[in-house]
Amino acid sequence: MDDSTDTVKRTRSYFATLRTIYGKELKAFLGTPFGWVVLACTMGLQGFCLQAVLQIMSKATGEGVMYYMLSNVNFWFYFIFIFPLITMRSLAEEERQGTLEGLLTAPVTTAQIVLGKYFAAYTFYLILWLPMLLYPWMSDLGNMYTSIRYGIDPEGSITYRLADWVGPYCILALSGAFFIALGILCSAMTRSQIIAGILSTCLMITYYFMGRVTELWGEFPAAPAFHYLSITEQISAFSRGLIDTRPVVLYLTLTILTLALTKRVVDYRRWRR
Amino acid sequence: MSMVIAEHLHKAFGRFVAVRDASFSIDKGEIVGFLGPNGAGKTTTMKMITGYLPPTAGTASIAGFDVLKNPLEARRHMGYMPENVPLYDDMRVYEYLEYRARLKGICGSSVRQQIAFVIDRCGLEPKRKNMISTLSKGYRQRVGLADALLGNPDLLILDEPTNGLDPNQIRQIRELVRSLAEEHTVILSTHILSEVEQICNKVIIIDQGDIKAADTPANLTHGLRAAGRVSIEFKGDLDCVVKELEAFAPVKKVMHEGTLPGGWHRLIVRAEPGTDTREKAAAIIASHSFPMRHIYRHIPNLEDVFVEMTRRD
Repeated sequence: MDDSTDTVKRTRSYFATLRTIYGKELKAFLGTPFGWVVLACTMGLQGFCLQAVLQIMSKATGEGVMYYMLSNVNFWFYFIFIFPLITMRSLAEEERQGTLEGLLTAPVTTAQIVLGKYFAAYTFYLILWLPMLLYPWMSDLGNMYTSIRYGIDPEGSITYRLADWVGPYCILALSGAFFIALGILCSAMTRSQIIAGILSTCLMITYYFMGRVTELWGEFPAAPAFHYLSITEQISAFSRGLIDTRPVVLYLTLTILTLALTKRVVDYRRWRR
Repeated sequence: MSMVIAEHLHKAFGRFVAVRDASFSIDKGEIVGFLGPNGAGKTTTMKMITGYLPPTAGTASIAGFDVLKNPLEARRHMGYMPENVPLYDDMRVYEYLEYRARLKGICGSSVRQQIAFVIDRCGLEPKRKNMISTLSKGYRQRVGLADALLGNPDLLILDEPTNGLDPNQIRQIRELVRSLAEEHTVILSTHILSEVEQICNKVIIIDQGDIKAADTPANLTHGLRAAGRVSIEFKGDLDCVVKELEAFAPVKKVMHEGTLPGGWHRLIVRAEPGTDTREKAAAIIASHSFPMRHIYRHIPNLEDVFVEMTRRD
């Protein structure tokens, strides 16, 4: 059984293994009811948010629908919980099931495991925002119906104006990248999915409220730091089409930092046993 | 050529020492059984060899690659089946095997070919499309074994492969492991002695973290002090017979185990290993015309070795 008779085709490619883990994790989201239930619930809540937004839009100043969707108070109720839901089982369940041992005894590095799971969770998160792209089309259908049925053509409503969509989607993608990484980190820290979920929720809420500190405490000397971190201000600016590079850098670097920390945590938990 | 070299492996969980200074080497083609009572340190040692559990001290290497310094290379030569066979319940058998094959770096047409090969070898054909959550324990062990076989690794490490199976399933798994042993180096851990006797050509006995013995079963049973033990049942003058027996040179000790109903005395004669004291004992008893109804020389087996090495008294 020496190498000369070994007829099994093998690859040493780093990315092939990464893609294998990514594919399997993504299939766990989309090939089982879990992902579709989360998607359905999120769409339901987005729709609920939409009906509240349409009321506001009828009296409003001409921003796109996404601006009102993201600055609506209802938005935060489901936005915060998406992240723990998607990420809490990623590493915690592997450890609890015992399958982490199977992963760490295969020729796979810890980084590949963390990145594979991260990108699968992030891809699924991005999918959650795709149905909203249908709103203008639905709105056109609605308008068409009204004009045929009642003879009136209700103008305005929801449009595909690029400026209305690029900004909000950018900020959702960027902040989502960081928050998903945070969720994966929490999942790596414990065997229990529930603790991972709780930890992740608390961190998200803390981050959100850090941005709103200036509303409570006024403009004290350190206030600019909190303005910099404020997700509500960033969403507000991006949704109006103002794409600031500072949040871009902030979220990219935070994501990379969190993922590096996650990899260390997984190794640490193995080594300290 | 050495497949596995373990040097001074030591594992302590806080103050509890699970494995103490374990050193052994396993050559290519050997089938080694790790034998020991529950909690002896078998699984801990195996986890250290695979590189999953870092040792507190000492090193382990597989095919010349240190498991901690060169983990990817070492893992490429190894197929591991952990205790309790952890599997993903939400995948089907062939999906799981395909995932594991790709994780191990197998690509292209070899993936399908390897999966077909291991499914055939492990008898998984009737269950290939089933969800893993629906499989019985026996089939789960087979899936674990199939996973370990993917990629044709040089070394197979199986942690309690027949754990929790019924006798039929145990027989099937043993047959499978025996057939695999012809082409791979196998390390398996168990507390079932007959398994080791049937499959392995080398035994490492571990108890409370220490390696008590590492040798072939034949060598181990040969030097055993329980060898050559003779048990006798007779009716008559106990002290006289005992004294005469003890006077006989190879006899080391005569123990009176008890008196059974009807006045039959039961004696255990311990003698030098390799000697047969039955003839002399029978002659002594016959010379007094005492009735004798049982004389038996104990042939040592692995169980005696095991009990001898791991007793707690």
